[in-house]
Amino acid sequence: MFRRSLLFAFAVFLLPFAARAAVFYPETFTLDNGLQFIVVPNHLAPAVTQMVWYKVGSADEVPGKSGLAHYLEHLMFRGTATIPPGEFSRKIAAQGGNDNAFTSYDYTAFHETVAADRLSMVMQMEADRMQNLQIKPETAKPELSVVLSERQQRTDNSPEGRFEERVRHALMPDYPYGIPVIGWKPEIEKLTAADANDFYKNHYAPNNALVVISGDVTLDEVKKLAAESYGKIPKHETTVRKPCPPLKEPSEHRLEIVDAGVEQPQFEWNAIVASYSTQKDHEAYALEVLGEALDGGQVGALYRELVLRQGVASGVGTSYDPDARGDAVFTIALVPQPGKEPKELEKALQGEMQQLAQSGLDVKSVESAKKRLTRAAIFERDSLLAPGYVFGEGLTTGHTVEDIESWPDRINAVTLEQVNAALRGLVGNKYTVAAFLLPDPKASPAAREAAHKPALSRDQSIR
Amino acid sequence: MKTARLILFGLLLLWSMPLHATDIEEVTSPNGIKTWLVEDHKLPLISLHFAFRGGVEQDPVDRQGLATLTMALLTQGAGAYDASAFQQQLADHSIVMRFNAGRDALGGSLKCLREERQTGFALLHLALVNPHFEAAEIERARGRQLTHLRFQLGDPDWQARYALLGAIFANHPYNQRSLGSTKTLAALTQADIKNFAAAHLARDNLIVAAAGDITPDELKTALDQIFGDLPPAEKIASIPEVVWPPAPTSILVPREGTQTGLLFARPGPKRLDPDWYAAEIADYILGGGGFSSRLMQEVRDKNGLTYGIETGLGPMDHTAMITGEAATDNPNAGKAWTIALAVWRRFFQEGASTGEIAAAKDYLTGSLPLTMTTTSAIAEVLVEIQREHLGRDYLQKRDGLIRGVTGDDVMRVIKKWFDPAALTLVLVGRPEGIKPAKTAEQVRE
Repeated sequence: MFRRSLLFAFAVFLLPFAARAAVFYPETFTLDNGLQFIVVPNHLAPAVTQMVWYKVGSADEVPGKSGLAHYLEHLMFRGTATIPPGEFSRKIAAQGGNDNAFTSYDYTAFHETVAADRLSMVMQMEADRMQNLQIKPETAKPELSVVLSERQQRTDNSPEGRFEERVRHALMPDYPYGIPVIGWKPEIEKLTAADANDFYKNHYAPNNALVVISGDVTLDEVKKLAAESYGKIPKHETTVRKPCPPLKEPSEHRLEIVDAGVEQPQFEWNAIVASYSTQKDHEAYALEVLGEALDGGQVGALYRELVLRQGVASGVGTSYDPDARGDAVFTIALVPQPGKEPKELEKALQGEMQQLAQSGLDVKSVESAKKRLTRAAIFERDSLLAPGYVFGEGLTTGHTVEDIESWPDRINAVTLEQVNAALRGLVGNKYTVAAFLLPDPKASPAAREAAHKPALSRDQSIR
Repeated sequence: MKTARLILFGLLLLWSMPLHATDIEEVTSPNGIKTWLVEDHKLPLISLHFAFRGGVEQDPVDRQGLATLTMALLTQGAGAYDASAFQQQLADHSIVMRFNAGRDALGGSLKCLREERQTGFALLHLALVNPHFEAAEIERARGRQLTHLRFQLGDPDWQARYALLGAIFANHPYNQRSLGSTKTLAALTQADIKNFAAAHLARDNLIVAAAGDITPDELKTALDQIFGDLPPAEKIASIPEVVWPPAPTSILVPREGTQTGLLFARPGPKRLDPDWYAAEIADYILGGGGFSSRLMQEVRDKNGLTYGIETGLGPMDHTAMITGEAATDNPNAGKAWTIALAVWRRFFQEGASTGEIAAAKDYLTGSLPLTMTTTSAIAEVLVEIQREHLGRDYLQKRDGLIRGVTGDDVMRVIKKWFDPAALTLVLVGRPEGIKPAKTAEQVRE
């Protein structure tokens, strides 16, 4: 995808369960103006990644201004007093580096990867646009068209994009996470340069941001460079983040969306669950283990039952991202085996989840899931971007470095009882939406064929 | 970044790189299997990447999807393990093992903790030399592939690509679909799969590279253990060079929706063509350079007509192309294309400025070390360098090759390879303000 992209907090369909990890052994310090630094030295290659995270996202927008946080993210590339529009990325490209940005419900982030000796340059540049952004009507207007075009490409012109937006809105009506990050089209169209400027003034400040630097650097170097760049920015008051409003029941519990653009039927079951912020007694950690135990690539309980034993699904995936200021969403996504009715999936999933809730998961599968999750931490250290994501998502949603570093311990501490309690909680959950995305039988011969054929024609020679 | 979406043709287009030369050691096993190694003990991880020459284009025309299905089945039961047990072994030992079928090569990789390497190597050996291809697993894998195929059929970008490749490659094997069609996929037999694996997974078309926490001596032993039992010689079909159609065309693929996708291509230089580095520079300036490119600035930044437009070089073993893509509102499709063509035409007529060429060289020389920041990325690059016959000193040489390109070289290459009159264009959507020469239906099966 192109740059300045929107981060979907919603997981991509059928990706394996997102394993988080910690144990980056970070070093931290905070400037007088409140800007927090997380430094993760990694000397695998002479390169460095800087990620600047602002503690503001689409959930902080006021009603009627959906899409503003993301629009401002685009405008952050449209120039300051000293760096003309478009020059930001060009300067970085001139060093062989790359830069990017994304917006989600609770945060907005900007990042650059450059040769280690160019860190000073990108720190100066981010510090510059932290305080000196110029939003001019002549650049803001075409950028709004770009944003609308992005919405077209991701949502309006994509059956899956339209589907996810519908489902999310039904699941969390009147809740900030139920509004698309990119915004509703009629509201985006009305956004102005002045709106973006106000949002910038009210939310972008050193005391409302953090910087993660990972790569071939030392703490002392970063401290020195930080003082020379960000250190000169005065702190200023920003809008206090509002707590998330109380949850309401989903507006619909079941959606069947027929879309002529779809060839492959899909089914997903979504439930609102606790996040790291809203958990009372480590349920979020138990839910992470549960997700891995249910999915786990091709070894999870649902895969074994629905794909291998019953043969109703050709694929199963779970997703759950507990980094949120409000509640989080747990999703189980299924694709029917060719020849099977999508509706059979719903029945099979319900049946198996109830069965599992009654019998409970066994200790072996839970311990195996815990081991897989915690070992993934070592794999994540083989990456310059991972520390940025992990610390950024955590610290912008109310957690501490210590929370993040002790993640493997907390996963290890999850008991079989806690996982089974999380499972029972999921099965008894009232805040759910079951959603089907179905091909239009009138539009698609391929889908018609799938619906009426009992199974794929099997090759006789293998019988 | 610039190449993010241009993995379009199943090729790795990582060639926007180096600076600091990485130390590559050549390691040869007692049985003569050669590999390149970048040894690094900072993390307890090992990445192994490999490729077998000959890919999707090897599928018989009525057996399309065969290479992909075969590769998917390698991890679905091997040696003493059925599919479930094999997957459980991988999960319990935190081993990531992947296989794929690319256009010109079959690929694979293994990533594991150092402490689990013996298990990892043993499982990889079994997957390569003793896969079961058991009937029930074939059906399951076929079902998964059919699911992917149906996702593909609903994807407008894929529909554009299908129409474009059809127009250019016609009856050449490069026109084959990696997942097959519903018909060809249903026709694949266990015998097809077994024969494909036996013919294509051999020692003489194998390329291997490793990076991470392993010594040369350990790797020597591992190479023979993993690959030593493969047959010595491949039996792959020879593929002819592509002959492009005499004239370009434009094709409309009507599709409901609010947006039109544009995909365009013309012949380009192959990877070992002496024009390659000048063409990389030219492409970067025109459309490959992300936000810095002329097309992006004009079509996106100045006119707000698209979320993105980009171009890239697409070298393959038996031809090469320069491709580009963009998406725009239906009503603006004609306008966006007119502007893009005008930018391209001016580039073709006037060439690039000295400043643009210098900026492109800075990017192209500076970006390689930034992509080689993980053990798997390093191993992957080493496989590609071998596959393209670029030489073990490539990482040291490349800066000089790029820096040595002159303004005259770039101008000559623009005149030779960047005439927009040769572009074949596919539009998927309901574009307004443009009249394509032909109309084609979306493929539905």
